[in-house]
Amino acid sequence: MDHKVIVCAGSGGVGKTTMSAAIGVRAAELGRRVLVLTVDPAKRLATALGLELNDVADKKVPLVGVTGSLHAAVVDSKYVFDGFIRAHAKDSDIVERIMKNRLYQQMSTTLSGSQEFTALERLLQASESDQYDLVILDTPPTKHAMDFLTAPQRLSSLFSEGITRWFSGSDDKPKGLIAAIVGKGTRTVLKSLEVLTGGQFIEELVDFFAAVRSIQKVLRERSLAAESLLTNESTQFFVVTSFDAAKLTEAKFLQGQLKRMGYRLRAVIINRAFPLWLPESEHASQNPSASEVKVQTFFDQFRTYYKARYKLYEEFASELDKSVVLARIPEYRQDVYGVEDLKTLAHTLSESTHERR
Amino acid sequence: MPTTSFKQSTEQSTGAARIGEKRILFVSGKGGVGKSLIAAGLALELTKAGKRVLLAEIGETSYYKDFWNLSKITHEPTRHPAGFDIALWSGETSLREYVLFYLKMERLYNLFFENKVMRSLVNVAPGLSEIAILGKITSGIRKVGPPMDYDVIVIDSYATGHALALLEAPKGMMEAIKFGPMGTHSREMDQVIKNPNLVGYVIVTLLEELPVIESLEFKAKLKSSLGVDADIIANKVMKSPVDLPELTVLTSSPNPGLADFAKHLAGVEERQQKYEQELRATGARIIEVPLIFSADPTTLVEKTAEALRAL
Repeated sequence: MDHKVIVCAGSGGVGKTTMSAAIGVRAAELGRRVLVLTVDPAKRLATALGLELNDVADKKVPLVGVTGSLHAAVVDSKYVFDGFIRAHAKDSDIVERIMKNRLYQQMSTTLSGSQEFTALERLLQASESDQYDLVILDTPPTKHAMDFLTAPQRLSSLFSEGITRWFSGSDDKPKGLIAAIVGKGTRTVLKSLEVLTGGQFIEELVDFFAAVRSIQKVLRERSLAAESLLTNESTQFFVVTSFDAAKLTEAKFLQGQLKRMGYRLRAVIINRAFPLWLPESEHASQNPSASEVKVQTFFDQFRTYYKARYKLYEEFASELDKSVVLARIPEYRQDVYGVEDLKTLAHTLSESTHERR
Repeated sequence: MPTTSFKQSTEQSTGAARIGEKRILFVSGKGGVGKSLIAAGLALELTKAGKRVLLAEIGETSYYKDFWNLSKITHEPTRHPAGFDIALWSGETSLREYVLFYLKMERLYNLFFENKVMRSLVNVAPGLSEIAILGKITSGIRKVGPPMDYDVIVIDSYATGHALALLEAPKGMMEAIKFGPMGTHSREMDQVIKNPNLVGYVIVTLLEELPVIESLEFKAKLKSSLGVDADIIANKVMKSPVDLPELTVLTSSPNPGLADFAKHLAGVEERQQKYEQELRATGARIIEVPLIFSADPTTLVEKTAEALRAL
């Protein structure tokens, strides 16, 4: 592990956060100074690492007997966005105007693209500081893993020169809506939008873009910097997936997308791939009791089921690029939620990745 | 009038309509708990009960397409071999339909959506996607838009955090815009989703620590934000074929494989009971769906539907 940034991608509920934490623990054991960033409304890493819900600043995770160090932080979208605007807006008037705008308030707190932007901004800040050798980003929860990768593009199109100028006229002062727009087509479109949403919405929108316009240059710069960090050779992607036919199909698709977008896929981690407790040996009891027969039958169903699933895994593995590490993590008896559990998981992860090398 | 096979639970504290009598069912839960499977099971069970059912996915991409290996799932509902209709509603397709229907001007609508700026606006405008999707979901009840000839729409919704953002979007929009059609429509949507006779909320969970914590938080937020109650479906429950005392005896079986498996089962049983009690303490109705030993989509959905019928 000599890369500077690891991005853990995958759809919701596959165990990204736990894996990010485990990788962090492992890297700290190997002597690196690590920061794990998570963007998670359910604060799963928080539970695992003993973080408080509002620990937006880096917090040291107590790890005994490691040569490196582990820090963790929760990326709070609104906190990062507000901080960003305070740092980059030209004057306090503009800060005030943006903060007061209801569309901004909604945007900085809801999920539409802003979480992804703030996660990347936070990653960028952390990777620019020399406090850490490795920053691990646990990507925001999305239904589909791809959503995270397309979010920066969606957001940067919002802040692109064209759209903000379109809404705010040719200088920094917001003008009357129709007056600011040249071109009949655009005017018609905007009028229809006004019919649809009501004039107040348009006003809020114009005001929002006018205010944002003053920081759009730096927003674009940061978006580009984030993009260049993600494609840098010191940045590696880990895809975490659950063992489910549809999710594996999605992981396969994601793998192709990553390659096309110029990102480096380092590992695929299949979580809860098989139960650790499933014994391989078969011992038939002599004169089994009625309850023994029942439990044995139940057990046989399990084994048949997992054997069938193993085929699915082999298919997936055979199609995976050989340069990519494939790890299978078993289903544990207990939920993972303490630092000791993470250490165990980290070791399993590192052992199962060595298998294939 | 077809009757539903869902029985009224005596534990149900509210006087709201039974789950099978609602017009819209929102299925949500922590990521990875099996929301889509439960939504499909509900759709199948309601279809078997004689209802006209639409199973709708929301967002940009479809889970069911890969799951059932279908050629495509579109905004316009299509018939699934199992007898219900299936659709995928994204923010863009929903807004497009809304504009077309509302503005009733095709030329204007083309102008609207062929405009690059407008497209990016739809993609990023705060809350607009959510409002459009929620507008589509509630359009049948609000009697706007193209007719929706269904008794019930089962929504395979987002995971809890995003689902809450979706359901709170009308409130946000109402505050941002008091006047105009968007304000009016947001108010109407808000009324519909708060009406327990029309809309049911189903939280899918596993009987494990993190999903249970998240389910309880989500349930409380639904109550405080919308004033609605939610039913809970515990998915992938491991049903031991013998009870706990018998299992305990088997843990010292001379057959080491069996003893180990019995130990595991006993541990699972204890944990499941603990989490089920935590869920029951909220007064929620809980329906259990067992872990199904199959990877075949048809078998999975049919067995899930059966489990939902049993309660």
